[in-house]
Amino acid sequence: MKDNQSIMEVDSKFKSCPGPIIDLSEAVKNAEKGQIIRLIATDPAAPSDVKEWTSQVGHKVLKISEEKGVYSIDIEVG
Amino acid sequence: MMDDFLSKISIIISSEKIDKLLEASILASTSSTMNWDAELFFTFWGLLALKKGFEAKKVSSDYSEYEDLLQKNMKSGSIPGWKELLIKAKESGNVKIFACSTTLGMFGIDKENLEEFVDDVVGAATFLSRAKESDINLFIS
Repeated sequence: MKDNQSIMEVDSKFKSCPGPIIDLSEAVKNAEKGQIIRLIATDPAAPSDVKEWTSQVGHKVLKISEEKGVYSIDIEVG
Repeated sequence: MMDDFLSKISIIISSEKIDKLLEASILASTSSTMNWDAELFFTFWGLLALKKGFEAKKVSSDYSEYEDLLQKNMKSGSIPGWKELLIKAKESGNVKIFACSTTLGMFGIDKENLEEFVDDVVGAATFLSRAKESDINLFIS
């Protein structure tokens, strides 16, 4: 990640599956290769779903963190 | 995008109950975000859901005590509407929706009375030959 690159944030809190993945895929459509997207989600399946989804479509998971049931998942658009 | 990784899912839907419609549309919409092809074949009671203006309200009768819970979750936006999911998924261009010709005849429904998002009216032979090419085949009833 370049120092000056802005992170695109996608808020999918309180959406059940497949909401977060659909939101993320919409965001990717509007992003360039190399863009970092941060998905914020409360769906407990979000971390594993994002990992599987990115491996299917060619993006990369950079970081996953969780605080009080809210996941923050950074991906890099491939 | 990894264009060399194309997969396909085929789903038969034979219920007009909201839980079944959601199960099918959640899988179809998610598969479309993975650039997979998805083909949905609505037959028997599932065909009723494709009638213009149809609103799925009931859950499967064995689980009617959960109807309010599901409705509540859909109202809050936590669970999306099945039609909205399918219409959005169709924007990807890799989701096709087929109506079963036999049940269309049985119910006496005109093709014109089917939702705009229906691609075609087909028979079993068409479905089978298309499903044969699928990596995943599901029957939801």
